[in-house]
Amino acid sequence: MKKLLAWLLWLWISLVIVGAFLYAPLAKGFLGESSRILFFHVPMAWASFIGFIAAAVWSGRYLFGRRDPRHDRAAAVAIELGLVFGVFATVTGALWARIMWGAYWNWDPRQISILISLLFYGAYLALRAAVDDRETRGRLSAAYALLGLVVTPFLFWIMPRITYSLHPEPVINAQGKVEMEARMSQVLYASGIGFTALFFWIHNLQCRIQALFDRRAAL
Amino acid sequence: MPGVPTHLRFENLCRRFGRLSVLKGVSGAVAPGGMLLVTGPNGSGKSTLLRCLSGLLAADSGTIEYREEEGQLDASERRLRVGVVAPDLAFYAELTVAENLEFFSRLRRVSPARGFAVLERLGLPADRLGGTLSSGMRQRLRWAWALLHSPRLLLLDEPFQNFDAAGERTARELLAEHLAAGGLAVVANPSSLDFDHAAEHLDLGG
Amino acid sequence: MRRNTSTWGAEVAAVFAKEWRCEFRTRYSLNTLALFACTTLVVVSFSLGPLGVSRSQGTALLPVLLWIILLFSVAAGLPRAFVQEEETHTATALRLAATPSALFCGKLLYGLTLVFALEALVTPVYVAMTSFNVESPGLLIAVLAAGGYGLAVGSTLVAAIIAQARSKGTLFSVLAFPVLLPLLVLTVEVTRCAASGSAPDVALPQLLLYDAVVTVAGLMLFPVVWNP
Repeated sequence: MKKLLAWLLWLWISLVIVGAFLYAPLAKGFLGESSRILFFHVPMAWASFIGFIAAAVWSGRYLFGRRDPRHDRAAAVAIELGLVFGVFATVTGALWARIMWGAYWNWDPRQISILISLLFYGAYLALRAAVDDRETRGRLSAAYALLGLVVTPFLFWIMPRITYSLHPEPVINAQGKVEMEARMSQVLYASGIGFTALFFWIHNLQCRIQALFDRRAAL
Repeated sequence: MPGVPTHLRFENLCRRFGRLSVLKGVSGAVAPGGMLLVTGPNGSGKSTLLRCLSGLLAADSGTIEYREEEGQLDASERRLRVGVVAPDLAFYAELTVAENLEFFSRLRRVSPARGFAVLERLGLPADRLGGTLSSGMRQRLRWAWALLHSPRLLLLDEPFQNFDAAGERTARELLAEHLAAGGLAVVANPSSLDFDHAAEHLDLGG
Repeated sequence: MRRNTSTWGAEVAAVFAKEWRCEFRTRYSLNTLALFACTTLVVVSFSLGPLGVSRSQGTALLPVLLWIILLFSVAAGLPRAFVQEEETHTATALRLAATPSALFCGKLLYGLTLVFALEALVTPVYVAMTSFNVESPGLLIAVLAAGGYGLAVGSTLVAAIIAQARSKGTLFSVLAFPVLLPLLVLTVEVTRCAASGSAPDVALPQLLLYDAVVTVAGLMLFPVVWNP
């Protein structure tokens, strides 16, 4: 069954890639083929965000539940993957920005928000690396993940509102302004589903690998 | 003893630190007036066991059941109720002995009278700064601190460490009085100590 | 002895009193905060030059620098509240004697008084040294209070987390910065409003909301951070 799902995921993502380049039309107002990056950049940012929420949920279950090490492990892996996907999202976004507006970094509110999120992920992993005892490590990092959860909404809501008023010419994030044709949104949603599924598939694999590592370390 | 008597029971406690398995399924029980003596060589898990019992450390698996007159206490309640003497217990160097006791008595919401009474019996001047105490004096302060809130359960890790003969004699008297009044005690020590009353033995081997 | 709410406040007061008594005898935190604040003040003022900045430049720039000074001073001086307990091993006795919520509130109150003392020292000097023109001083005081509270509560909680880890010095900054950044964006915005005399319609309510949210998070998370 797992093998079948893995093949299905591979097929889905392949179709998304094909669709992104052949099926979906180019967006108006974009240079050349650059709008194609949208189909990868947005879903990866989305998956990274989902990963953070999942990590917070697992952290909450660990902390206020039975302190099951599997929840702690799931949270840590979700943050690691969230960091990876987030870095890819940031890089693709920067490439896109370079093509569109000539600079890799524009202090666009969304760019700043995702950067701070990456700082959160990095801080969480730094905390885990600094605690030796398994029980303490799980407890402290879960608490930090939950603290991050309550603080990040301020990042995503206040940043756009405040920094817009700071910049005389706000750099408008293209997602808000682009009117999407049906085929574009189809590919975009399909890509979103695909990348989220990819996230959780890798997450499942990594959790199992990590469990083996943990078991070996205890021997 | 009204209602269900106070007792402590722990079963199958396991605790590992990384690769090292320190507690491998330890069990025991203490009844009112009873003392459990835990012996074993260095590194056998005596301190770890006591820290699990006091609630300072969570065991990986196993159960700890502690009951006082009002009923069963969970880990957070037990942690605040027990009296602990341990080598790593430290107090504020910038405060005097008296200020330390008064601070903790305010935290525990009790009068510091009992603590000062024990201090006097052990012979420790109350106006010395915490940072100027010798190791024997620190041990006396630990005993006074442990008995401050008249706990029902005493968890003593190497309780006579650094004591001179007089100090040890007084501390043994305090322990005997505690047990005679129906209190419970778990004492950890590298070697088996001579006690006047019968004590249950738990040897953690090696 | 039964725990009850009527003497919870007395526990908080005891923790607060103990912190200040120890602090007065060593003056470590006060010295660190004051020294750090003065050094950064001098650097900022020096780099702005003898002629200072124009009015419009000032409104854009000076609020940010003020809050940077406050942030880094707090990061230098506040974590000690928990770190020292762990390093001197007094944390064991605290864990066995103190109600976690009372301990958190006592430490928070101590941190608050430190932050307010810092702000009282730094702000007038800063305003004078940089010729910072503030149209609404009342709003400035309000943002110093609300923002200072946010700094204190966030730092106290993060300090409790890192106190049980290694490399506590660098780890505090790494963990606290993402948590405090939204706070700083808000406080800078409200300070700008105070400087220019405009109304902080969006930022001030969000600032107060941040304070409330982090306080609740602290009260809920501290007991599990503090005890196994």
